[in-house]
Amino acid sequence: MVALEARHLTKCYYSTVAAVSDLSFCLQEGEVLGFVGPNGSGKSTTVKMLTGLLEPTHGQVVSRGARIEQDLVHYRERLGYVPEEADLYPFLSGREYLELVGTLRSLPRQSLERKIDAMLDLFSLSAHRHSAIGSYSKGMRQRVLLIAALLHDPALLILDEPLSGLDVTSAMVVKNLIKKLGEQGKAILYCSHVLEVVEKVCGTVIVLQKGRAIAYGPPSELMKTAGQASLEHAFAHLVEGGDSAQTARDIASVMSAA
Amino acid sequence: MILTLEEPQRSRWESLNENGFYRLVRHCADRVFYGGDGTSCDVEMGIGAVLAIFSTPGTFAAVALAVKYGTVFHFLRNEAHFNAYVASFPDEYFFAVLSMTIAGAVAVWKWDSLLPDRRDHANLAHLPILGGRILVANLLALVILVVIVAVDVNAGSAILFPLIACWTAPTIGYIVVFFFTHAVAMMLAAVFGFVAVLAILGILMASLPYRVFRKCSVYVRTTLLILFVALLMTSFSEGGKIETIHSAVAWTNFPPPVWFAALCQWLRGIDNAPFPALSLAAVLGTVAVLVIATGAYALSYRRCFLRSAETMVILPAGGGAVAAHVLRALDGVLLRGPVQRGGFRFVIKTLFRSETHALTWIGFTAVGVMIASNDLLLAGSKTAASSHVPSAVVLGLPLILTYFLMFGLRVAFEIPGPLRANWTFRLGVDPGTRECAALARRVMIAFEVPLLAVSLVLYAHFWGWEIAIVHTLLLAAMAGLLIETLLLGFRKIPFTCTAPPFKQTTSVAVILDVLGLFGFSAAVPALERHAFVDPLRSATGIALMLLMWWVCLYGTRKNQIEPERRLIFEDALPPVLEVLDLTFRK
Repeated sequence: MVALEARHLTKCYYSTVAAVSDLSFCLQEGEVLGFVGPNGSGKSTTVKMLTGLLEPTHGQVVSRGARIEQDLVHYRERLGYVPEEADLYPFLSGREYLELVGTLRSLPRQSLERKIDAMLDLFSLSAHRHSAIGSYSKGMRQRVLLIAALLHDPALLILDEPLSGLDVTSAMVVKNLIKKLGEQGKAILYCSHVLEVVEKVCGTVIVLQKGRAIAYGPPSELMKTAGQASLEHAFAHLVEGGDSAQTARDIASVMSAA
Repeated sequence: MILTLEEPQRSRWESLNENGFYRLVRHCADRVFYGGDGTSCDVEMGIGAVLAIFSTPGTFAAVALAVKYGTVFHFLRNEAHFNAYVASFPDEYFFAVLSMTIAGAVAVWKWDSLLPDRRDHANLAHLPILGGRILVANLLALVILVVIVAVDVNAGSAILFPLIACWTAPTIGYIVVFFFTHAVAMMLAAVFGFVAVLAILGILMASLPYRVFRKCSVYVRTTLLILFVALLMTSFSEGGKIETIHSAVAWTNFPPPVWFAALCQWLRGIDNAPFPALSLAAVLGTVAVLVIATGAYALSYRRCFLRSAETMVILPAGGGAVAAHVLRALDGVLLRGPVQRGGFRFVIKTLFRSETHALTWIGFTAVGVMIASNDLLLAGSKTAASSHVPSAVVLGLPLILTYFLMFGLRVAFEIPGPLRANWTFRLGVDPGTRECAALARRVMIAFEVPLLAVSLVLYAHFWGWEIAIVHTLLLAAMAGLLIETLLLGFRKIPFTCTAPPFKQTTSVAVILDVLGLFGFSAAVPALERHAFVDPLRSATGIALMLLMWWVCLYGTRKNQIEPERRLIFEDALPPVLEVLDLTFRK
């Protein structure tokens, strides 16, 4: 069953600049869809439209057969979202922040507290649960965001760079978790620059460039089509990024110049 | 003893906590109080401490008025039929000013966290909450905050002032009426002050592009603070004049605090011609600012908050080509070495771009401008430019400005910027560097030089080049010594160190600073004025005084030991107990 569908999504800023142009795709239940593209390709704009934070100029986002704007509150009840930046309230503790999110999601008090404590423990944040978020490291903030997105057991997860700032162990946990949740039937949109992870975790990948989807399919097929051995190389082949080796050589020569 | 809630109460409390809307309102109130970017130096005080600070001025003012209302003083002044209602009019004006100023200053202080911002959008917008609920919850939190501030600011005075003023009152009812009328009028004044600032904020946010709003925000806040200080100053000079208001003059002729003082008197039934119109102005004025603020708040919510995801956060930066040329020129004449050159750019940009720092030094300078203007106005015709030699008041004007400007900069240097970015300096600067004071000195000089130039031109225009040059030289010498005094023991790169702890010597330092202002801006100009008339005696006196000042500074600096000169990134008090290393192994 289709959990989320983007139909001809287009977003123009200042009436003329198209950040996303005629983008269409489907996210099935139990599918992990990778969303990759160079900086400024329109990933974040698309994610914001999919979460209902941004209204598309044209096209629509459909969930369970209905446009999300028709019942945004109900749609968001089923949605777990990890934004690109962990901009949290520095004056709240990690636990307080999760309590706030859980309460606003109308989760029952007792189960919420149990869940928060268990999640904090599993994400190795127990020792810091009463410390202000202002004193957290980037990785700790990211873990708080992940917990906040998972607390209500959402059917649909939109993860924008969820591994940003995480240490190796936590990143491995999250990677395995994404696979597990996919197996459980949850629909996951995984947005990232780390292509090795996308290759391992996602069943399907969309490559975005200048607001348009330039490739859409399983990673193995993309690699095969591009004639490359890894998704990273396939990506470099697909997008107009120039010769990365040559750019590196240019940087080195500028560094050594007097 | 720990009190426990009864079971039904507990469940009610818990169910309230589980209510999403209530939690949202509580969160909005928290974010208004604790708001900020979390990287700057927000004052870490509990709500209780902050409320206590807000209520203190009113309480002290009420106590100080015991002199006026005490029975002994009535007897001494032969006031047999003392009417507290009538006599309290100028004091009610003072309390209205105080109430309005403190409440308005709170709104200016919390400027950035009064309305929901991008962080709220990032954290709340994707949750299953109706968009309007965030609007209403924040509005409700603001209403609660306004009520708390209005009650708190006037709590001390509302209780003490009626008791002190009506000590000899014939009945309890007399005191009760005094209490209620005072409380209502003053709380309304506080609401007016707070909401007026909120309305200005809302209008600016709703009408300006975000980038422009951020850029002009610091100037608007400074202007508002100056207006509040000016208003506060009127309470000392205008109190007597207000007592004489009898004829029916239009309400527009009076500043808002007079409306609220008049409302207080009108509620007490005092029959005076302008009171009904002024009272009406107080009520309608409050209603008007409430309506404007609510409208502007709703508009700014729609225009800024709901469209947060659509707009890019490109904050103003970049000094432009002219600034780059000026800095390059300064590299040749004023700045030496990488610490000074890199640090100077960093300090100047922080002083102009960081709202906290800009507000600090501009605020201090503004107070200086106000005092200087006040002195000039009070001096009146005596300071006519046509006089042969400028008066001591006129000579003191640039000194007052210098004192406050330098002091403001020195205070701003102590306010930490985002400490997380400190690694740049921790890695890049030699800990043994002695360049910190030199860097700070150069920044202060860069701010002082334009003042010297303007002073030279203005004094030359009015009193000729001879007087202008002598006065500017003296001003430069005084500024130099003041800078050296302010930078004694300074060993930080500005804004990169934690805030200094409160030391026992701080209170003494504050008293010395006030006395210093008097010596700097009043005593020396008076001597200088004499020097223009009798050059030999007074000029020698001034020279000797400056020499002594310099010798004191030189001696103090000479006595500093090596650890007292090392660069620090954390300002901490010396340990109460020091462990002596008696093994002499080091």
